[in-house]
Amino acid sequence: MSEQVISVMVVDDHPMWRDGVARDLTERGFDVRATAADASSAVRIAHAVRPDVVLMDLNLGVESGVDATRAITAALTDTRVLVLSASGEHSDVLEAVKAGASGYLVKSASADELVDAVGRTAAGDAVFTAGLAGLVLGEYRRMAAGPEEGSAPKLSERETEVLRLVAKGLTARQIADRLVLSHRTVENHVQSTLRKLQLHNRVELARYAIEHGLDADPEQ
Amino acid sequence: MKPPARKDALKPLWRAAVLLRVITLVFAAGVVMTHDGEYARTWLAWSTIGAMALWTLVTSIHYLRPGRGSVWFTVVDLGVCCALMTLSRMALTHDQLAVDAVPLLPTVWVTSVVAVGAIRARVVGGAVFGAVISAFNYGVRGYVDTDLTRDMVLLIGVGIVVGMLSLNQVKAAETAERLAQAMRAEAATAERERLARTIHDSVLQVLARVRKRGRELGGEAAELAELAGRQEVALRALVAAAPLESTAGGEADLRPRLQVLTNDRHQVSVPATAVMVPEAAAAELAYLVREALENVDRHAGPTARAWVLLEDLGDEVVLSVRDDGVGIPAGRVAAAETEGRLGIARSIRGRVRELGGTATLETAPDAGTEWEIRIPNAKRGTR
Repeated sequence: MSEQVISVMVVDDHPMWRDGVARDLTERGFDVRATAADASSAVRIAHAVRPDVVLMDLNLGVESGVDATRAITAALTDTRVLVLSASGEHSDVLEAVKAGASGYLVKSASADELVDAVGRTAAGDAVFTAGLAGLVLGEYRRMAAGPEEGSAPKLSERETEVLRLVAKGLTARQIADRLVLSHRTVENHVQSTLRKLQLHNRVELARYAIEHGLDADPEQ
Repeated sequence: MKPPARKDALKPLWRAAVLLRVITLVFAAGVVMTHDGEYARTWLAWSTIGAMALWTLVTSIHYLRPGRGSVWFTVVDLGVCCALMTLSRMALTHDQLAVDAVPLLPTVWVTSVVAVGAIRARVVGGAVFGAVISAFNYGVRGYVDTDLTRDMVLLIGVGIVVGMLSLNQVKAAETAERLAQAMRAEAATAERERLARTIHDSVLQVLARVRKRGRELGGEAAELAELAGRQEVALRALVAAAPLESTAGGEADLRPRLQVLTNDRHQVSVPATAVMVPEAAAAELAYLVREALENVDRHAGPTARAWVLLEDLGDEVVLSVRDDGVGIPAGRVAAAETEGRLGIARSIRGRVRELGGTATLETAPDAGTEWEIRIPNAKRGTR
């Protein structure tokens, strides 16, 4: 049982795409435990099957995968969400990552890239495309320039440096070589940029809830 | 240059000013008729009314034309009105001027030029024109009393009121214009989203399917898959990019102009929020990036890929274009820049300098090339 098979759930509203991805992953030895076509059934099914990785499309017809991502990552601590989305859905992708997704892959990625990304996500690494790095960099800068600048998380100089290199298309290995760091350290820097963003997002949501009395016990 | 809507907004006010001058001309003529024969120089009084009628015609033609005449014409207008007031000193008897307080020949006809000044230069213009006319009123009479001071208060008051009205008209027109622009943008966005959904649900799904199956089948089918894949990436980037619209302030979001350059070998990374730069700079930067990417395709080797990163640092915009191609050996950069290979380097540097920015090029053998272009954004730095 040491080499456990990674269990996956595929969420996409397009049957053709959903089945194609599921088949690709099954052929490569993943355990595709479930599929879902909409956000609410995705959350329900994820609770039932508890997969290691949820492959989440953000564009679920009229629904968005962002809320499903938040619900799944909040309730299931061992389940990671990898966003698999059409490129360029900027604010959506960023929202999903802030809501707890641990990575993002464009739909035009090859089957090899997909398999690699699912494996890394299951191992707990953040899967960053250059596009996501650009979004995250932009988000930190937006927060730094915004009104709640004091409470907003900040990137260290090293993290900024690493993220910029990711955004310019360098692999973790290449970044490690260029900055004379270990591969692990680079991965940790990348992960920490996401974690800070997600933590801040949760704090903001909680603050919003308290300010608007949403945390009050309904019995009282 | 003012947007056309702002000039049109003042059209009713210009018409009112012209109408006021015509009505007050009739009144002035009536006053002269009443005092006919009592003047020191009756011929001069009637000549003044004639001159006023002529000038009313000239100014009406000027102010009703879309261009409204030049600012200088309005200054001349003020001068003519003051000159005609001054003629009263010769036309009226001393008693009429100083004792009986018979109205000066132009009477309230001069109010119109105060309105013109206010329409042109808002509150300040109205107040200044009102003050100038009042000063001549005192000067021609040669004394100060309550009636003349009341005239002054009224003249400057008219200037200020019309000035405020004129300012409000312009602001209202601007608001309406912004609203119309927002509505156009919203309609365009809705339409784009509808198109994007349709494309996403149909063409893209099929292309993705062709790419996948083709790769699995191999051989010629794999080549077809490759072609389908390229179109899929380009189409996705196209439907995802925001519309290429610029704001009323002449600024444009730089992101969509770069995003459309995405294809299977070029990736573009941008922030989630708009990166506004002057319209001209947006076009120029998009052109630069396109050139740099074409250069990568030509010189960096058949498998080279390129990444574009757009960053908004608030007071400056940073654009990086990096490729993983063959690069250039040290010491060959200068030579390469003058040759065809990096001929565009000079063109890029020159264009970036004209935008007030800096461009640096880093390269090494087998390490690709990397451009970093920094453009200061002074206007937003002070935001």
